[in-house]
Amino acid sequence: MMKREVAKRLFAFELNRSNHKISQNGEKTPIYVLTPTGEKCNRVFIVGVLLDKEEIRPDSNFWRMRVSDPTGVFVCTAGRYQPEALEVVLEIEPPEMVAIVGKVNVFEGESGTYISIRPEAVSIVESEARDYWVYETAQRTVERIERMETERDSEDIALAWQVYNPDLNEYRQKVREALIVIKEEFETFKVREEEKKEEVKEEKDADLELDELEFEEEEWDLSDILGE
Amino acid sequence: MKGELVEEKVEIISKLTEQITEKFKRSGYEVNPKEISKRLELLMFEFKVPEREAIRTVNNYLMKELDVSREQLSMESPFIKIGEITRPNQWVSFKAKIVQLWDSTSPNVSQVGLVGDETGIIKFVTWAKSGKPEVAEGKSYIFRNLVTDSFGGRMQVNVNRNSEIEEIAEDVPLPPREIKVTGALIAIQQNSGLIQRCNECRRTVSKGICPVHGKTESYDDLRIKGVLDDGENFYEIILNEDNIKALTGIGLEEAKKIAKENLERGVVLQTLRNRLLGKYFTVNGTRGERYLIVNEIDFFRDELGEKIDELLTRLGAEQ
Repeated sequence: MMKREVAKRLFAFELNRSNHKISQNGEKTPIYVLTPTGEKCNRVFIVGVLLDKEEIRPDSNFWRMRVSDPTGVFVCTAGRYQPEALEVVLEIEPPEMVAIVGKVNVFEGESGTYISIRPEAVSIVESEARDYWVYETAQRTVERIERMETERDSEDIALAWQVYNPDLNEYRQKVREALIVIKEEFETFKVREEEKKEEVKEEKDADLELDELEFEEEEWDLSDILGE
Repeated sequence: MKGELVEEKVEIISKLTEQITEKFKRSGYEVNPKEISKRLELLMFEFKVPEREAIRTVNNYLMKELDVSREQLSMESPFIKIGEITRPNQWVSFKAKIVQLWDSTSPNVSQVGLVGDETGIIKFVTWAKSGKPEVAEGKSYIFRNLVTDSFGGRMQVNVNRNSEIEEIAEDVPLPPREIKVTGALIAIQQNSGLIQRCNECRRTVSKGICPVHGKTESYDDLRIKGVLDDGENFYEIILNEDNIKALTGIGLEEAKKIAKENLERGVVLQTLRNRLLGKYFTVNGTRGERYLIVNEIDFFRDELGEKIDELLTRLGAEQ
């Protein structure tokens, strides 16, 4: 048995730019994907909005999902080998806030390589989990960006520079944008709470939930889906 | 039977080959693993030479081929921290304290227990045939030339004939045992939910069978075995009925009711997964060998505003 792999945190913007596979010699060794900021990941944990789900072929029981974070869209595929995840996927109606833990996979397609997540577990969560995930992922990403600058000799970092030669300011900008989305949401939410108190309490919870949903959709960067 | 035997042989050979290759690599010599495997196999399985002698013979052969002396081939493994041990079959040295000694259950093992430094704690095994002196609980030592191994999914280190153990006056600190972690609950294992335990030994009973007492009387219990992950480390945690009730309002009685209404115990697990999986928790716990023993657990609810501002400052101004 192998030591369990930690679930790494990274934004869709970074994961979608990762295409370098690292596999060690020997059977049953895990496959890692090296990311542009030098993270070696096998398992990831993401929280975002499930935008849509589609069965890849009719009756294949193989589903593709798009999950959005403030920086882009993760593509996840679940099939019968992930029964626990599949069970939840079948019942879920997008759009919905979800948490997904899964393994990353790199595929060689006709138009280059693309990356997807194979979920081990899918669950519906509230926006608190998403907020904390964005904060936590921002923090880990900042740590990696800083290491890219200070530890150029370490193995994975040297390789990341060689493979991707990333523009670190671009990654800093994405982290900044993601944090601001969350921060603005807090502030809007606070203002709204106060407005609510002043108004007559006829506004029902259901309405508020709908408002929030629309607000969130406006905030997501949908360029990745539209571009595809 | 024969297939298994072949498989076992292949495994022994590949393990030894890796150890030898590693040893030469450390001194800057590349050797051909295929050649080593071939020689080991011939010696050990064709000519039935004992393992120890086979290794020595291959080592001598390689030293002669490469024209290096035993001194040049530095015998000392690199010094590392225990927290860095992640792969089996590596030669390592470290400074550590004996945390705990267990009773050895095998005549082949002279001592077994836990050693630790400030980065982690790991199981160690001293083989009886290594002929090494015994170590004492609470004392610190320099361990040289141990081999890492993986057993039952956990890493451990083995003390062998080539190892050296030297007692030191220094007191090596251990990692804090009480920790506070915030992470996502990324897995709830199958053997969670409404379970049954053996009346005699409290072990979990599956289909009315206790692993020790066979067919047995049992009682219901509620627990969750799960994995909390903060993106840097994972912690295996066990939640008892009190923890679960505090988080979800579902205690043993409620769980039994859910199972009864649905005519299916599995629904309890499903319900707990729906309520808890993928969410963030803060745990105050005590580190055990495998599990983080939960003293207190709650949904994460701190204000993020300030933390986000700090991070934005750290990112610096837009460029």
